[in-house]
Amino acid sequence: MRRIWAALTTTAITAAALTGCGLGSGESRNSDSVASAAATGEVKGKVSLQTWSLKPKFTDYMQGVIDGFKKKYPGVEVEWLDQPGEGYSDKVLSQAAAGTLPDVVNLPPDFAYPLARKDVLLDVAKADPKLSDEYVAGGVEAYRYNGYQGTFGYPWYLNTDVNYWSSDLLTKNGLDPKKPPASLDELIAQARTMKEKSGGQAYLMSRKPGLGDLYNIGVKIMADDGKSFTFNTPEAAALLDKYRDAFKDGLMPNGVLTDTYAGNSKLFSSGTAAWTTGGGNFITSLATDNPTLAPKVVASPAMDTPPLYVQGLSIPKNTKNPAAAVALARWVTSPENQAAFAHLTSVFPSTKASADDPFFSKSDGTNAGDAKVIAFTSLAKAKLIQPVEVDDAMGTIVKQQFALAISGQTSSKQALDTAVEQCNKLLKG
Amino acid sequence: MTHRRWFTPWLLAGPAILWLAVFNLWPAVNTVILSFTNAKPLGGGQFTGLENYGRLLDDDQLADALLNSIVFMLVCLPLLTVLPLLLALLVQRRIPGITFFRTAFYTPVIASAVVVALIWGWVLDDRGLVNGLLQQSGLTDSPVSFLTDRWLLLFSAIALTVWKGLGYYMVIYLSALANVPHELHEAAAVDGAGPVRRFWHITLPGVRPTMVLISALISVSSLRVFSELYVLSNGQGGPGGRDMSVVMLIQMYSRGFNGHLGYASALSLLLFVITLGPMLFLMRLNRKAA
Repeated sequence: MRRIWAALTTTAITAAALTGCGLGSGESRNSDSVASAAATGEVKGKVSLQTWSLKPKFTDYMQGVIDGFKKKYPGVEVEWLDQPGEGYSDKVLSQAAAGTLPDVVNLPPDFAYPLARKDVLLDVAKADPKLSDEYVAGGVEAYRYNGYQGTFGYPWYLNTDVNYWSSDLLTKNGLDPKKPPASLDELIAQARTMKEKSGGQAYLMSRKPGLGDLYNIGVKIMADDGKSFTFNTPEAAALLDKYRDAFKDGLMPNGVLTDTYAGNSKLFSSGTAAWTTGGGNFITSLATDNPTLAPKVVASPAMDTPPLYVQGLSIPKNTKNPAAAVALARWVTSPENQAAFAHLTSVFPSTKASADDPFFSKSDGTNAGDAKVIAFTSLAKAKLIQPVEVDDAMGTIVKQQFALAISGQTSSKQALDTAVEQCNKLLKG
Repeated sequence: MTHRRWFTPWLLAGPAILWLAVFNLWPAVNTVILSFTNAKPLGGGQFTGLENYGRLLDDDQLADALLNSIVFMLVCLPLLTVLPLLLALLVQRRIPGITFFRTAFYTPVIASAVVVALIWGWVLDDRGLVNGLLQQSGLTDSPVSFLTDRWLLLFSAIALTVWKGLGYYMVIYLSALANVPHELHEAAAVDGAGPVRRFWHITLPGVRPTMVLISALISVSSLRVFSELYVLSNGQGGPGGRDMSVVMLIQMYSRGFNGHLGYASALSLLLFVITLGPMLFLMRLNRKAA
């Protein structure tokens, strides 16, 4: 008897172990049949929508969008779930692992990529051939991935980075806010003036470079096939050398070595740094943290290629209601609904039809209005700078190695070689 | 006469066994299995044999992390074993107002590790309280890089851990001291033994098992340090990640959609084996002394 129990237990543990670690086979639905069902099916029944941190600020807006959808398609029922900002990737991960993703789910391109790779998401271009005609190219492109056929999300709202300068701090230290630096060399030169005039009390530069800075000087971050990193070039090393020298000369605070993006904007908000980058609505949020500083901030376009930030709506392949899911994703991202959303906050629509809306292209005369127009016009040349293949661990390794180079503890070449080697190992693993 | 069926004990122990199997045994078994695969959070791993373990030998960051953990343990172990005992001896006396001091020493224990580390981060920042005092008093001309220098960051985290842990171990020592028979002290005093001699020959042997327990707890928690280093270094483990602990490495490799669960599991098992070492050593030491 005991032997039988022992054998049964062993079998159960082994079977559970093999499926638990993902070695079991999973069920996969054919993309064509789901897309066809989405294109031809009737829009009715239950459909769920998951957004990311829109409640309570945008509850009324979203409820209005959902009510409009129900009015357009009587007989459809929408269940709206809004997940908190913190831990969203973990939430999506657990839903994807359990096969319980809602029918329409808000995923930025880097969240959608691993799911697309695992064949979890629907190729929405198959279900919706007009996609490329109606949405801006950058937004659609963000949901297409190297080596994978398809478009794995409807682009929703967009944003980019704008340069923000503290006019008070610049003027006080002998710099002209109307002539902000337009290149890294100018930035370093002005940072030197700032340091000398302020006696080291204020900084112009307060962040270390990232992969975006390498991209901006023409360094190729990844090989075309997306199978290896290639950013360890002499040009990249020369850029890190410039930052290392600037750091050595005290043009940046020590904290840049371990700081995050928020650290840079925090230093700006506290009046210690005269330059930061932020989205089109940065001045509005700054008005809460530092109301005295906010009116004195001057915005200017990004020095090089502005980064493109995209939010989108994806549809899992295992949706039980593909027709309603596609209709809902289209409805939420329609020009009218996106425009209404963008009027409430400083994000920008991803639909081509919204390009002529004067609300985005004309400033109301305030510095926040100027920043919004700069951000909107920058979107035309904004690009998704960091490859979606760069995961959390790779991002940390790059930051660590760049910090090591800037602090002078290793050569820039060595740091870049190590970062590329480690990232390639992770990419293959 | 009542009959005891053979399965009665199993029925009684069943819920506890099930709990242990699901929440302790199964995760441990799964970690071992995962360590031989290249599994990702979304599944699909393949068996890769000893590849993850081979990678452990070739990982410079792991070598740094192990060194950090060992330094952390070697410094924390004596400090957190001895200082709380001295503190407990101080606050053990029944004098008016002593409760205030006991509470004050214990307060850091109940504060969240993350909150405490954030506060220490502000205090040790380039423009923080400590650097302000150092520069104002003329001891330094420029800010000391407490949070951006490899060793200073590590020792800052150690100082934080010691400060936060003092009260906790003090309370454990207080209960141990209460069990040392008072008559022994009285008899020794009558025989002419002074306070130092009584400490060495009565107090110390009396609290020896507690000391071993505390040493074991400190060894384990030092090797598994995370929050203090993570928060003080903004999650980046210092320049070059040279201030990472093994747990930080596990977190770095396992998080996100593309988490490298296989390698993270191999790291977990390595940490488990390393943690066993000092515990077995201390148990052996205690057995010998007994």
